[in-house]
Amino acid sequence: MSVISVPAQSAVVAVRRRRRPSGWSWVRGGAITLVCLVFALPIVWMFAAAFKTNAQVTDPSVGLVFTPTLDNFRAIIDGGQILQAMANSLIVGVVSTALSALIAVPAAWAVGRFRMRSTGSLVLVARIVPAVSLLVPWYYLFAQAGLVGTYTVLVLSHMFVSVPLILWIMIGFFEGLPIELEEAARVDGLSAFGAFLRIALPLAAPGTATASVLAFVASWNNFMFALVLADEDTETVPVTLFSFISYASTDWGGLMAAATLMTVPVVVVALLAQKHLVAGLTAGATKG
Amino acid sequence: MVSSSNRRFNRRALGRLVVAAAGTAVVAGCGRRPPAPDDPLRVMAVNHVWSKALRERLPEIEERLGRRVSMSLLTADQLAGAYNVKLNASTTDIDVMMVRALQEQALFARNGWLADLTGHVRGDAAFGWDDFQEAPREASTVSGRVLSVPVVTERPVLYYRKDLGEPPRTLDELLETSLRHTDPQNGVYGYVGRGQRSGAVTQWSSFLFSFGGDFTVDGRSGIGSPAALAAYEFYGTLLGRAGPPGATNMSLEQAMPIFAQGKAAHYIDADAIYTNFLDPSVSTLGDRVGFAPFPQGPAGSRPHNIPSWSLGVSRFSQLQDDSWEFVRWASSPEMVAGLQAAGIPGARRSVWADAATLAAFPADLAEAMRVNAGNGVGHDRPKVLQVGRARDIIGRPLVTAILGQPVGPAVRDADAEFADFLVRDNRHRES
Amino acid sequence: MRFPTSPAATIERSHRTLRWAMLTPALAFVGLMIAFPLVYTVYLSITDAFGAVNAGARPVGLQNYGDALTDGRRFWPAVWRTVVFTIGAVLLETVLGLALAMLMRKAFRGMRWVRTVLIVPLLATPVAIAILWLLILDPTNGIANRMLAVVGIGPQEFLGSVSGSLPTLVLIDVWQWTPMITLLLLAGLSTLPEEPEEAAVVDGANAWQRFRHVVLPMLVPTLATALVLRTVDALKTFDILYATKGPGGGSAFEVETLNVLAYGLTFDYQEYGLASAVLVLFTLFIIGIVVLLRRRAGRSES
Repeated sequence: MSVISVPAQSAVVAVRRRRRPSGWSWVRGGAITLVCLVFALPIVWMFAAAFKTNAQVTDPSVGLVFTPTLDNFRAIIDGGQILQAMANSLIVGVVSTALSALIAVPAAWAVGRFRMRSTGSLVLVARIVPAVSLLVPWYYLFAQAGLVGTYTVLVLSHMFVSVPLILWIMIGFFEGLPIELEEAARVDGLSAFGAFLRIALPLAAPGTATASVLAFVASWNNFMFALVLADEDTETVPVTLFSFISYASTDWGGLMAAATLMTVPVVVVALLAQKHLVAGLTAGATKG
Repeated sequence: MVSSSNRRFNRRALGRLVVAAAGTAVVAGCGRRPPAPDDPLRVMAVNHVWSKALRERLPEIEERLGRRVSMSLLTADQLAGAYNVKLNASTTDIDVMMVRALQEQALFARNGWLADLTGHVRGDAAFGWDDFQEAPREASTVSGRVLSVPVVTERPVLYYRKDLGEPPRTLDELLETSLRHTDPQNGVYGYVGRGQRSGAVTQWSSFLFSFGGDFTVDGRSGIGSPAALAAYEFYGTLLGRAGPPGATNMSLEQAMPIFAQGKAAHYIDADAIYTNFLDPSVSTLGDRVGFAPFPQGPAGSRPHNIPSWSLGVSRFSQLQDDSWEFVRWASSPEMVAGLQAAGIPGARRSVWADAATLAAFPADLAEAMRVNAGNGVGHDRPKVLQVGRARDIIGRPLVTAILGQPVGPAVRDADAEFADFLVRDNRHRES
Repeated sequence: MRFPTSPAATIERSHRTLRWAMLTPALAFVGLMIAFPLVYTVYLSITDAFGAVNAGARPVGLQNYGDALTDGRRFWPAVWRTVVFTIGAVLLETVLGLALAMLMRKAFRGMRWVRTVLIVPLLATPVAIAILWLLILDPTNGIANRMLAVVGIGPQEFLGSVSGSLPTLVLIDVWQWTPMITLLLLAGLSTLPEEPEEAAVVDGANAWQRFRHVVLPMLVPTLATALVLRTVDALKTFDILYATKGPGGGSAFEVETLNVLAYGLTFDYQEYGLASAVLVLFTLFIIGIVVLLRRRAGRSES
């Protein structure tokens, strides 16, 4: 085990650079590799199974080396339901995220700039309440309005999750944004709102993008709201997938293909934006 | 530099808002408005051989009605969920609905969701309401009002491997033969059947009746009786010792493939699924599958003979007359005869009496169905309002028995729970 | 003078309207979406609402609460399962997450890829994860039993058995959410000052002592936030439980937690009155836990 006994930071860095990898580093590398395997292999297994025939999927001796086939995808897409479900998930996700960003980003700015933390945290109460307790009243409300089974009710219910999420992330973001730029703009004659619009908002674009991506993923993954509030025309992918499980319970290939279709967008997003996403996910955590 | 991206952002946001608002308005507008002449008649059906067969014959009724018919096929769970969502909202999106007379009809009736068809069925001599078998007819009636018309009936049949010998005639023989054929090392089991708590109750009912018991006796819980205890223990032993692992998780969808792949010697389940075992793309059995009547228990052979699916009309439908026309057509003597000749058992006595309609079934299956129908009991679950909860209560000792745990205490507890439940259920009925 | 002495104060004082205008849409939206449902749920909990959502319901006082609190067959076992699941999952996730964060703390080559790998289980749809594990853990066809056989352990039933289901689901939850704790802690660790640790090294403390007495205390605020978030979510776990075991939490109700029970009461039994009472009790339970956790976090901070 290496012991760094030189107090100065630069010396520490210099020593580290010059040192050969020690035994501890190998152990550490091995451990990290093992951990990565534990988290990555199941996902890889799912993707692999989607391209296997049913006989191969149910034969545990068939590993990751096999001849792939597209039959599973063809089979589940033919029914048409999974494509419709993906379209529904996309529509609900995009609209709910856009609307949520529209109302949450200005609110986050107001909380961050005017230091209204306690008011802002009221919105986070939304996180504590179990969704089921909202579903029956929403049911009743939306039934009276004739909206049950429509995209509207799904969008509204997903916004209920997205608004606090985007708020949580953007509050931390705006709090960290130096106020000098906006003040300079104010002095130049801009109103406070103008400063928000022309200075803070563009600077917040990366944060907004990250928060929106996370909100979209949350909407894409949402199961319970669509399970209850959607009908067979508007049901989203998790619900369709769920009904596959009992109905086609022995069609593992089809199930894995459907699960893959659902997860590929998520993996792509993770690959492209991991740094921003991690920052977004952990925003607010260090603010206690 | 900052202002141009800023302007783009504003315009984008505004554009998104407009689209979203417009979309919302359009979708919200698709709610209620009076029926247009070219509105389709909307039929909600379960994914079943009956529905698929009927869908092929739709042009006939479309021509008669002068209206398109749009038929949605869903799984049973999806259908129940859709009914919950739509009917609670009183939507006019459903016209004809496929319901399970013994499962949800009582509750739907209490909620006022089904249109009263009494006038239609009784006032139409050619329709022949009396031609329907008595038990299904009775199940379709709630408080003297006819709320549905049965279109598919179901009995349990003993599927067995012909190459392994003669079918057992009594339940004791069934157990003995099944145990003999159980060979877990080679992945072969003597018996497969439903073991999942709620799904198993309906199939177990035939065992219950054949041991001399019933769910309720004189309005009180009957599942604590000696006959019921014996039935629980029998089923638990059968599935627990001669059945495959994980039996307590098995519903129809999990049990059926096991028999279809030749991994079990006996299988008791609905007769409607028999086509799966003759279909080479699903089953490896070929002509090794045999069909036999439900074996005899201490109280004889008393299988259930129930209307598994019926057609009802939504009270909120704006096409009441056309809906009735559809129901009438789909359950007419000609249609039922045609479908039964194609292998789908209906509920009309005249059709059952006609030997020609039974020609489509394998000979031993037709005979088994005839025998079962003769011995049949008209229900396969307790006749209560909250069938779901009742099934959960009654199914609990089944799971305990299959797992090999002590059955007596579980049955006594379930009996007490069911008794409490019946009190509350009656209260709901009266309110 | 061009700048006032306190620019922030200027904004605050003269823009009360602006800040409320910007905050109101979000506040109003969440408030409306939550206020009516909460009030309605509490109202339903004192009625005998049943069957149809808008059927006539009569007030019955606290009868539903009495029924729930005296129900030893479904309610209390559900409470127990909720507690067991939550404690098991959160404990494992915290310990493993902490260990992993300490492991990854110092930058290394390929850290970007490791973070990508870690973020995928977090973002993946719980229902898809549930199906995936159903396949991997299948007693006869799954790869898990095959791998166990290689190390000489006999085949396990995992999700197919009654007693094994809840522990298995705890492990699935740990698999999905440990990365979240790790990433949160990594972010927290990166903001910690280096001096205390270096001082400890100079004082001759070994790695474990440094961790236990220097790093951990400084991490407590971040840890507390992560813990509260994860605990609330774990208490409300639904998707993986429902997708693997179905309505009622399995044949013997083996994974029926309070959330699954409340869902079943509402949508399978249509007993809206009783379900609402259970939900009110559940919400109070969650609030109680949050308050408890925050108080303990506050105490350890000081």
